[in-house]
Amino acid sequence: MTTTLLEVRNLEKKFAAKSAWFKPKQYVHAVNGVNLQLAERETIGIVGESGCGKSTTGRCLLRLIEPSSGEVIFQGKDITTLSKREIKNIRKDMQMVFQDPMASMNPKLSIREILSEPLLAHKILRSEHEQLLSETMRLVGLPEEHLSRFPHEMSGGQRQRIGIARAIILRPKIVILDEPVSALDVSVQSQIINLLQDLQEELGLSYIFISHDLGVVEHIAHRVGVMYLGEMVEVAEKERLFEKPLHPYTRALISATPKTDPDEVKERIILKGEIPSPSNPPTGCKFHPRCAFTQDICKAIKPELREVEGRKVACHMV
Amino acid sequence: MRKLETYKPIQARVTYKSPLKIKSDSLQKLSRDKRAIVCIFFLFIVFIIGIFSPLLAPHNPEELFYESILEAPSKEHLLGTDAIGRDVLSRLIYGVRVTLTVSLMAVTITFFIGTLIGLICAYVGGWVDNVLMRIMDILLALPSIILALAIVAVLGPSLTNAMIAVGIASIPGFARIIRGAAITIKSSGFVEASRSIGSSHSWILRRQFLPNVTGILLVYTTLFIGVAILDTAALSFIGLGAQPPTPEWGTMLSEGKNYMLDAWWLATFPGLAITIVVFAVNFLGDALRDIFDPKSSR
Amino acid sequence: MPNILVVKGLTTQFEGEKGPITVVDQIDFKVKKGEVLGLVGESGCGKSVTSLSILQLLDKNGKISGGEVFYNNVNLVSKSEKEMRGIRGKEISMIFQDPMTSLNPVLIIGKQIGEVIEEHEKVSGTVVKQKVVELLKLVGIPRAEEIYYEYPHRLSGGMKQRVMIAMAIACNPAMLIADEPTTALDVTIQAQILDLLRSLKDELDMSILLITHDLGVVAEMCDRVVVMYAGQVVETTDTRTLLRKPRHPYTVGLIQSTPHQSKGERRLKSIIGQVPTPDQFLQGCRFADRCPKAMDICHSTIPPLFELDGQTSCRCWLYDDKKEEVI
Repeated sequence: MTTTLLEVRNLEKKFAAKSAWFKPKQYVHAVNGVNLQLAERETIGIVGESGCGKSTTGRCLLRLIEPSSGEVIFQGKDITTLSKREIKNIRKDMQMVFQDPMASMNPKLSIREILSEPLLAHKILRSEHEQLLSETMRLVGLPEEHLSRFPHEMSGGQRQRIGIARAIILRPKIVILDEPVSALDVSVQSQIINLLQDLQEELGLSYIFISHDLGVVEHIAHRVGVMYLGEMVEVAEKERLFEKPLHPYTRALISATPKTDPDEVKERIILKGEIPSPSNPPTGCKFHPRCAFTQDICKAIKPELREVEGRKVACHMV
Repeated sequence: MRKLETYKPIQARVTYKSPLKIKSDSLQKLSRDKRAIVCIFFLFIVFIIGIFSPLLAPHNPEELFYESILEAPSKEHLLGTDAIGRDVLSRLIYGVRVTLTVSLMAVTITFFIGTLIGLICAYVGGWVDNVLMRIMDILLALPSIILALAIVAVLGPSLTNAMIAVGIASIPGFARIIRGAAITIKSSGFVEASRSIGSSHSWILRRQFLPNVTGILLVYTTLFIGVAILDTAALSFIGLGAQPPTPEWGTMLSEGKNYMLDAWWLATFPGLAITIVVFAVNFLGDALRDIFDPKSSR
Repeated sequence: MPNILVVKGLTTQFEGEKGPITVVDQIDFKVKKGEVLGLVGESGCGKSVTSLSILQLLDKNGKISGGEVFYNNVNLVSKSEKEMRGIRGKEISMIFQDPMTSLNPVLIIGKQIGEVIEEHEKVSGTVVKQKVVELLKLVGIPRAEEIYYEYPHRLSGGMKQRVMIAMAIACNPAMLIADEPTTALDVTIQAQILDLLRSLKDELDMSILLITHDLGVVAEMCDRVVVMYAGQVVETTDTRTLLRKPRHPYTVGLIQSTPHQSKGERRLKSIIGQVPTPDQFLQGCRFADRCPKAMDICHSTIPPLFELDGQTSCRCWLYDDKKEEVI
């Protein structure tokens, strides 16, 4: 649990915003200085609302989107400096599962063809394909006959199992899960979460679990990072975070999540206002316009992530 | 994060088909579409006529019957004879060969280059797309026949050059359609998934793009055959395509136009032949479009 | 409290390639005046089709093939399209999951809300504008006078849903049908919108039929709940009883599979198998193949809705009177 597998330092991603000719280019800071460590067999959850940059962060790690600056160190190498050819080798060890399994599979290809793609891309010996295919199908709990099916002949849950199978067939070390259960029904969602946990144990995987659903993250993650407008506002062990969230945004997020327990004391914090647009973020602490504890300092100076009570928080007021 | 599904009854039913079934489904739909059947049957006969023209034609297309110059349709010459005494029916039958070969070759050129440009533009994007598409836009601003004219003018008038010209002239329109179709595929999740796996560009183009544009390719290739037949005939009509004495419909039409008042059969039959064949091809294209691309038909 | 909406034996079918497909199968429920009734289920259970059937907003290939919908004791099913138009928006209005597609992109916000008022009430232009601005303020939109002139794409998702709500309540309807109103929204925005719906309900004395897949939203909003599975009602009860003492094995599974309920356990409880589509509905109890307590009778005969007490009914053979001791 202690060896660091992946380390992200000051990851930044700026998108050029559409601007008129001859005007200075405008940038949208989608990800602004994110730091992360992922240990072996660990699950780190990244939560936040739309526009917080959590998906962009996930894609930057795989260089599906090129990061603007920062380092992503994996097995002693900085991924951000690798050539396209070298990055291909990295992708063997780092795979991704997408939110919408239907959209992430070519409808014209059979499951066998979909699952063979990573094997062919990484030149795995033909003689090993069959064994890997059947073993992986067993791992994700689907009968081997399904290999000859097509994506739309399957239900949502089965399709996501295929999405997971495609990600683990090369036996990677890290799997980045981008909202893997958000498009699924509740009763199926729990099957998939259980499956992910079983696979983690069996294959020794590390997960980066990106989600907006705090309930799911609370269940599956060991550590959780909360993002708001491209920045980490709080990173903590799961138990600590959910028992005593420190950052006002984390608190609001947890209280806003509907609970199914009718007796739970509901101390609801309803945030005022909207999530600001990342193209025009507030000054200082980006959360200050919606925060109930805003002081003058929050409007002027951006709080840094610092150690408080055994975790990292970016807030002047804690 | 945005999509938790609610029940959509119509969509659910449409998607429950395997591509294999879609293939047999499409065939089934095709077999139920009467106009498609009629067109296919007709074009098949035209094709057979082209292949067996030496057997089917009553005379040699270049044989001169001095005693019957400009003769009206009769038992001996079913569709009459032309100004130097050649049998119009035989020339028409041999003309099928020329017309079909030229238009099919031209479409082959359009197909390969157009698909390539379309896919590259959609997949690479950025400045490559911008440059190529602006060039296509400029070419599109000219009617394809004018463009073909210009190309033949440069290459010199001959049937081969007409074929090349017609093929090239259709590329811009074709490339644009393919690019449009491919761009929606590029933004789809499975292309991103493919990249995340580490697949190569050529793999992604072959395995992810191509299978998803085959339907559209089929439809527009068919429709462009019609265009090619017309353009070839038009080029020949103005003397830049097939050269006499080659029996080509456009040339025949052109020769016949001088005798319109005295010998109506000279221009009428080649004209009819062109019209009917193009009509059949376009009809078939429309039927295919209804089957493969139901969205654009309405 | 009198019932404002009574749905009796409502059945809706869709044209399929192999004959009609029954998507909603003999649904019964009542909405009392001033109450929030939750209609809960997973995708394909027919909850959205139910709501569209109530307002007769089904697509052309779908039709109500049986049953009645009483609104204030008047049967809506027998109403003509013209009569229904007078009822939609004025008496019963609806908000949808996706506010982005429900707003006309080329009309300013104010005009879109104004149209609803003009459709149902004879009032002059200035009065309409005044009323629209009031409505915008009522649904918590800041700078209402400016937003009046904005186009929909300039607003965020939460703001658009507020606009949709303003449109829905423009004519003081007695009943609001909210179809997954917060599913497309972020959690903190969802909390705002739910809060708004709650306060509007009290302020305007509305009844709400809330359609959702999210038991958390049910727990926060609803007085009573109707659980649907595969086109049928499987359980009806009050919210507290549902969450504390669910009766139907499906409801039990659904509640247990939310991560929140298995705190501290490594594995989540889950229901085996998949949610069926209408062409996969079983002969007997439609949940039988996924049910941990399935008996022989479940596979052969569809259970009726057993009345358990005045409040609760449940479609499960476990609650057959003679077998009450089994549980």
